[in-house]
Amino acid sequence: MKKQEMEAQAAIKQHMGLKASARISNTVIYVILVLMSIIWLIPFICIVLQSFRTESTWSVGYILPKQWGFQNYVDLWNSNFKRWYLNTFIIALIVAAIQTIIVLCMSYTLSRFRFKLRKSLMKFMLILGMFPGMLTMIILYRVLKDLGLTESHAVPGLVLVYVASSGMGYYVSKGFFDTIPKSLDEAARVDGATRAQVLYKIILPLAKPIVIYTILTAFMAPWGDFVFAKYVSFEDPVGMNVAVGLWKWLTPDMINQRYTMFCAGGVIVAVPVAVLFMCLQKYYVEGVTGGAVKG
Amino acid sequence: MASVKLTKVKKIYDNKVVAVHDFDLDIKDKEFVVFVGPSGCGKSTTLRMIAGLEEISEGTVEIDGVVVNDLQPKDRNIAMVFQNYALYPHMTVYDNIAFSLRLQKMPEDLIYEKVTKAAEILGITEYLMRKPRALSGGQRQRVAIGRAMVRESKVFLMDEPLSNLDAKLRNQMRAEIILLRQKLNTTFIYVTHDQTEAMTLADRIVIMKDGFIMQVGTPAECFDMPANLFVAEFIGAPKMNIIKCELLREGDKYYVNPFGTKIEVTGEKGRELASRNVRAGKILLGVRPEHITLTQQGGIPTRLEVNEMMGSELHLHVYTEDETRLIVRVPTIGLTNEQRKSMVYGSALNITFEGKVMHFFDPETEKNLLLD
Repeated sequence: MKKQEMEAQAAIKQHMGLKASARISNTVIYVILVLMSIIWLIPFICIVLQSFRTESTWSVGYILPKQWGFQNYVDLWNSNFKRWYLNTFIIALIVAAIQTIIVLCMSYTLSRFRFKLRKSLMKFMLILGMFPGMLTMIILYRVLKDLGLTESHAVPGLVLVYVASSGMGYYVSKGFFDTIPKSLDEAARVDGATRAQVLYKIILPLAKPIVIYTILTAFMAPWGDFVFAKYVSFEDPVGMNVAVGLWKWLTPDMINQRYTMFCAGGVIVAVPVAVLFMCLQKYYVEGVTGGAVKG
Repeated sequence: MASVKLTKVKKIYDNKVVAVHDFDLDIKDKEFVVFVGPSGCGKSTTLRMIAGLEEISEGTVEIDGVVVNDLQPKDRNIAMVFQNYALYPHMTVYDNIAFSLRLQKMPEDLIYEKVTKAAEILGITEYLMRKPRALSGGQRQRVAIGRAMVRESKVFLMDEPLSNLDAKLRNQMRAEIILLRQKLNTTFIYVTHDQTEAMTLADRIVIMKDGFIMQVGTPAECFDMPANLFVAEFIGAPKMNIIKCELLREGDKYYVNPFGTKIEVTGEKGRELASRNVRAGKILLGVRPEHITLTQQGGIPTRLEVNEMMGSELHLHVYTEDETRLIVRVPTIGLTNEQRKSMVYGSALNITFEGKVMHFFDPETEKNLLLD
């Protein structure tokens, strides 16, 4: 009996020991994660704080404002920022809509249809996608210039640039579509649906996470783009997007008057994307990982 | 309700693999035909070609006298039940069943009437507002059948609909399909790899192997007079015992000599051999396990290796002196407790069979000697 009791006590002690070591390792992990989060958040916090600073408009050597207010946001409202913001929003919205349609149709086609050179086409696009987009910058500029879609007419030009290679971004959504059983398509076709009806009545409702992921990524690329936007708009205040506009405020001749407004602009730019991500993060994660493992 | 006619239908895949060879079949109106065969024999491919889900490489498929080769599945007036149910997961049971009717732009009140009637027949009324994930396998299969039912199609196609169910549920659903068939009174084409399903459901069975039709016939025809060795072994469980021996002829009488014995071929089989004037020589002799009996005296001496207790019968795996393995089906009802207890590993058993229950196959062509 005594031996049994001792064994039981030893087992309990061992269990407690394991519990304690698990607690310690968890604590260490959490401390590291919290530290990383703080380091990661510092620039964002600084920008938010600077956007509320009203005692001066230039860059200062401290973080906490001495005078707080919304003046920078009011100034922002009365500046060209409104136009840039609208330009960016229009571009991002149109690109998100067109790119989503193209990507989903492309992915569905490559997932479901079997045609000659299908695999070669996929490989070709994979290789093509490995080249940086920047390589095409000069020729794209020439083409857009000839079409009159640069400088003050940069908005449609940029839409064209972003949408042009949409079809090549099919990998993630094709992977997701591949996990949806083909027999659902076949059942719907036997039930009387056309291919298009199969896509929008059966496949797309089942692929909600990937649709949202596609919309988000399609929206994000033009929303934050700087290089192409700067090149195509050629710093014309009418055709600029918000990234180029804000960058202009950081040039040496403007930074002293516009630094805090730049920070306020940064906050305004980040808000819709942050809200969008927070609301849709569940779908976003499902979308990214959806094609990875067959469910 | 319609007839289905397949003429020289062939399926060749892009990699030049021929899945179905010159498939000829005439399915009558309201007939229940079952395609049966092992995996990869082309039965599902043939069904999918009829459904329009697979392109037909050569030949023609006619439904109700109309060649449908180039018609889309939706234009063929067929309904299909899939092996994995293929229910639309984002829709309720009601919406699943109503889907095809809505595509036809049928008025909602008529859809309601049809869906509720089908649900009532299938006993799924209480699940109409549930999503498929909240249903059991059997309930899901009922929904899939309901979805096909409401279309009131000319031909009802079923691709291994019971394969995903457990044994008990499979038996239950099999009986329900028989009842459904009586209610719907339409043409059924059913695919399965399970010979029991084929035997119990079919008016006619089409037995396939490697893309070729091995035999077309009623379940009784296929069981009693298998066209070749493959059919003989495929139909019936446990499978038919095949014994290498010789067919001997003495005047009008025929004998076989398995394992050094001499058994006269009697009854219909003996007369048939004589009328066909079958030559004596080496043959493959087929005897079904249920036609072998245990005997106390004489017979073929064997050694018992495995005794499978199946409830109402025993499946005895015995080995002859030349190490040929045979299976014997023995009803338990005729056995005493002592006899049962004596049937253990290594025990000696004498077996015999009658001449009227034998099947004779050509060792080279493997064809039944009593069929053309």
